[in-house]
Amino acid sequence: MSDLEAPLSQGSGPIHRLDPRARLLAMLFFSIPVALARSDASALAALGFGLLALTLTRPAPGLILRRLLAVNAFTAFLWVFLPLGGQGEALFHLGPLVYSREGARLALLLTLKTNAAFLAVTSLVGTIAPQDLGRALQALGLPEKFCHLLLMAHRYLFVIQREFRRLLTAAEARGFKPRTDGHTYRTYAWLLGMLLVKSWDRAERVHQAMLCRGFNGRFHSLAEFSYGARDTIFLMLAGLASAAVAGLSILEKTA
Amino acid sequence: MNDAEALIETRGLVCGYPGREPVLRGLDLTLRPGERRGLVGPNGSGKTTLLFALMGLIKPSEGEIRLFGRAMTGPKEFAAARLRLGFLFQHADDQLFSPSVLDDVAFGPLNQGLSRAEARRRAEETLELLGLSDFADRVPYRLSGGEQKLVALATVLSMRPEALILDEPTTGLDRETKARIVDILNGLDIAVLAVSHEPDFLSKITNRLYSLRDGRLVESTVEPHAHVHVHAEGGLPHSHDD
Amino acid sequence: MHISEGILSAPVLLTGAALAVAGVAVGLKRLPPERMPQAAILSSAFFVASLVHVPVGFTSAHLILNGLLGAILGWAAFPAILVALLLQAVLFQFGGLTVLGMNTTTMALPAVLCALACRPLLLSPDNRRAGLGGFICGSLAVFLSGILVALALIGTGETFTHAAWAIFLANLPICLIEGFVTAAAVVFLRRVKPEVLSGALA
Repeated sequence: MSDLEAPLSQGSGPIHRLDPRARLLAMLFFSIPVALARSDASALAALGFGLLALTLTRPAPGLILRRLLAVNAFTAFLWVFLPLGGQGEALFHLGPLVYSREGARLALLLTLKTNAAFLAVTSLVGTIAPQDLGRALQALGLPEKFCHLLLMAHRYLFVIQREFRRLLTAAEARGFKPRTDGHTYRTYAWLLGMLLVKSWDRAERVHQAMLCRGFNGRFHSLAEFSYGARDTIFLMLAGLASAAVAGLSILEKTA
Repeated sequence: MNDAEALIETRGLVCGYPGREPVLRGLDLTLRPGERRGLVGPNGSGKTTLLFALMGLIKPSEGEIRLFGRAMTGPKEFAAARLRLGFLFQHADDQLFSPSVLDDVAFGPLNQGLSRAEARRRAEETLELLGLSDFADRVPYRLSGGEQKLVALATVLSMRPEALILDEPTTGLDRETKARIVDILNGLDIAVLAVSHEPDFLSKITNRLYSLRDGRLVESTVEPHAHVHVHAEGGLPHSHDD
Repeated sequence: MHISEGILSAPVLLTGAALAVAGVAVGLKRLPPERMPQAAILSSAFFVASLVHVPVGFTSAHLILNGLLGAILGWAAFPAILVALLLQAVLFQFGGLTVLGMNTTTMALPAVLCALACRPLLLSPDNRRAGLGGFICGSLAVFLSGILVALALIGTGETFTHAAWAIFLANLPICLIEGFVTAAAVVFLRRVKPEVLSGALA
């Protein structure tokens, strides 16, 4: 199953049974102290909570691993360059370059934070079916227009991806082999241009279909969810976890 | 029957889509230079699957494919072979993506390594061969279905392929364009493998017809027979040449 | 060009979020309901485009094409990019909530500004000048995005200086390629379907 089919949202863990709004709110509560965490202890706590949440989604390991690697590409980049920018005591020298301890510690902290956030996003946002995301956001108060944009953009993602695949296949059938040259970039420009043209046409047809079904400019509320005790409990737990992370951060600062 | 090396050869091809029964079940096929084979069958019988497998666009689960005598073991082999085969997709508008007809027809030759000037010249020659010289500066996207089909054919012929593979070449075409395509194809000295649900058309451009039965090729014989049919205006002069 | 979650400092995150909220608000306000399918489907198309790898020397890169997005959608580029980032989060779990604003701003703000600046060239009746406009819009938008990312990092702390420089420098060849691709795409659109660029949405 391709990533576009949102495989993670099709699991069957306890988290999948929670109201998507609760999951989003939990994500919101939790993100803030994690983003602001300044101490390794609070980052580790966040990582721990993240892992806990992940286990509640009963994830497929292969999917998680792949995403974990992608997220940590930026982290790896930071490990190379942050220590070069730090002051003070040096860990080692590489010719004229000084690899500082301070920078390395920052890199470690950021690694913990990024991965903690990744685990939270994976468990709380990644488990939401994309078609539910728009509805959940609207129920949380975001503008109707935006939520419909999101819903429609997702609705056509698969179709558009297939369209592009067909165009690329046609090019490959005539011997196209991507290289670092002008012909390649120009070909991609034309393939993408053709995709935009076809998408534009499709959008016109969609609009005409909407008109034929009585669309008059107003967007109406999308489907409801059911919110229950389970969700409240989860939100409280998320709140506690966030407080714990925030608390550890504050403690460390004042210590 | 000539002894020249086969252009396309496949043995025991098994191919399908995930989650379904394979459409091709142990298919054998050989196409030698100068041969013209037609494959008839209703939609969904696996004709397009076969063509896609031969071009390396989908991977068979079993069976060997040899193009121009070389075993096609991976994408690299297919990439080299595609430069010598001309594949005409069923829907022309999936195949055209350049801002002008000349650009689209020159695309294949550019990929074959011709310089811009040579590719341009080759494109112009091909358009002339098909009577499409006036179309050189037109925008492919804005052409009619029949015009697009002819341009698509040009984009493939400009690569001077050793064999033409045609997937439902008459889809959406009017009688005039179909006739034109028949003329063009019969005027070329090239091997052809064509797939269609129109046996009449196929019998005009190929000399042996096959059908797909139980995922394998079975040779068909063409039997002319009379139909009795009723239609309006039957008293006026008319032809059934469609 | 995304910054991961948990890297930036609070003031930088808030600035990014504020700019994004403002931009999205303007974008939504200026988007008439009948243009919704266009914005949504084009946003989807750009999402798909951003998944394409193009070879760059011994490696490959994803195209961003925010300049082209700005030229076609105008201010609607803000909500379109936010939509794309949300889809990324939900499909690929890339990114995060607090850095969403900053990531939207680093890509959408240059998109809108460059499109506005290059509008006269892009709409010029001469295809070659339009192509030039495309090159400038495409390369400049990516260039400015790189600068904003670098500034966000430096704004977070001095320790990020080398990292910021590395991103800035690595971004330069990408700018050229994006400029070239955008120019070719603009000329293509002009010849095939000019109304896509004629500012129906911008």
